[in-house]
Amino acid sequence: MLDTTRVQKELVECNRDTAISGVSIDLHDGANLTHLCGSISGPLGTPYEGGTFIIDIQLPSDYPFEPPKMQFITRVWHPNISSQNGAICLDILKDQWSPALTLKTALLSLQALLSAPAPDDPQDAVVAQQYLRDYQKFVGTARHWTDTFAKIATVGIDEKVSKLVEMGFPEELARSVLEAVKGDENAALEKLCSG
Amino acid sequence: MGYDAMANEASVPAAISRDFGKKKKVNRSAKLKQCKLDARREQWLSQVKNKGCMDGSTGTMTTSPSHPKMSLPSPGQGVLGSRPRKMLPRVEMEPEGLGLQDSGLDSPVQSPTPSGNMQRKDCSSTSGSSGSSVGSCSRSVSDAEEDRQEEEKGEDKGGLDDWEAVADALSAVGNHTRTNSDSLKTVVDSRMYRIHHSDTRLVVGATRPDANRTIPRAWKPDDAARPQCLPNLSKQLSFPVNIERHFATSGWHRQAIISAPSSCPICVEDFDLTDSSFLPCSCGFRICLFCHKKILEEGDGRCPGCRKKYDRVACMENSVTGTGLSLPRRITRSCSMNSRS
Repeated sequence: MLDTTRVQKELVECNRDTAISGVSIDLHDGANLTHLCGSISGPLGTPYEGGTFIIDIQLPSDYPFEPPKMQFITRVWHPNISSQNGAICLDILKDQWSPALTLKTALLSLQALLSAPAPDDPQDAVVAQQYLRDYQKFVGTARHWTDTFAKIATVGIDEKVSKLVEMGFPEELARSVLEAVKGDENAALEKLCSG
Repeated sequence: MGYDAMANEASVPAAISRDFGKKKKVNRSAKLKQCKLDARREQWLSQVKNKGCMDGSTGTMTTSPSHPKMSLPSPGQGVLGSRPRKMLPRVEMEPEGLGLQDSGLDSPVQSPTPSGNMQRKDCSSTSGSSGSSVGSCSRSVSDAEEDRQEEEKGEDKGGLDDWEAVADALSAVGNHTRTNSDSLKTVVDSRMYRIHHSDTRLVVGATRPDANRTIPRAWKPDDAARPQCLPNLSKQLSFPVNIERHFATSGWHRQAIISAPSSCPICVEDFDLTDSSFLPCSCGFRICLFCHKKILEEGDGRCPGCRKKYDRVACMENSVTGTGLSLPRRITRSCSMNSRS
């Protein structure tokens, strides 16, 4: 059985300072605590800057004695993350996991991994080779992937903004609220209505 | 010391004190008191008559055994600081004899001015007048406080009026320290309150400074000289005081308890008594027995905190050895009781 007490506590703990840490966890579907959805913001000063990366989190029934299963949903160009399926090569998600670690620390580790790739122990050999042989090209590709895949929320945001403007909200406010809720139209509408 | 200063001040507030004295006299059981006073005065007058002016000095001499309690303390005990408080209740205890022999007047509060006092001055001592002047001075200082106390003491000490002045003479010197101690007392009270209703970490933090403080300590409930007007705190005190002593005697455990988490970081369940005294790894990372067992049997057997392999034998010994356990157990019980209440 999954230790729901601990998971619930972790969720609260993690989402308490999302603005500072840049990581957050949400429930993937309804009340199912074993399937979560994490998101990390791309670290500043890296090709991933400005992107928001969504991570699928599956909690084994033995969690926290077993590591959580994490996988990038957002496509990333990174030596230690599969460009095909988003699988992550990170020791603390495998043999170096400790029950003292949490989902938040794991997500923070992923964030650190984005800013400090380890091409000597690659998950994606192609990316790792490019990283080692032609770093500039790697940076270009990674940035392109970030712009393309990690900023989905901003794509079509104008459309959503115009929709909200049609409803009678000022454009600037609608845009800022939409950005705050990561492009979720309904959440933005709710927020605007609640004042 | 502050003796001279107080004697100078006395002239102004004396009038005020007189008013207070009169008012009270009316309010209290005046008849009974007056009766007693008259009897005493006659006694004293007859003494003077019998022994003459020469013997007047011996008349005051007879009072001298009681005098030191009032007049000596002023210069001497101001230095000692804590003593005036101890003296105070004793003086209050023997109201009438002392007062009437000393002043020998209808209205003892007025003692500095009238003739009876003048006689005594002629004869020998100034101690009487100085004592009473100090008294009136202090009255002005601590009128409100004393009045409040008198209200509490009630009517049964009807003859106390004049003796408040004498008591004030003592308290005037120790007035500063006394108010200090009063405030300290309230501080202690509020601490006791906090001890009851909040985390024991506060206890540690709060009780410590007391030991180092140079200010005289507050009244203990079992103190022989403790003023009766103070509320009875013995019941409230008994519990926290024990904890206090407990902590005082076991500084090491105090450290250990404070740094320890209250719940298991793995399963976030609250530690029970056994868990909180369970130290499975030398790195100091604490987990509950359940999680420890699970890690040993189903997991990799490594400490979650430092990833070192758990030493199974040492763990067993740690959890079994009883010598170090008795004290922290008791403390943690009180801790948990407090935090949960």
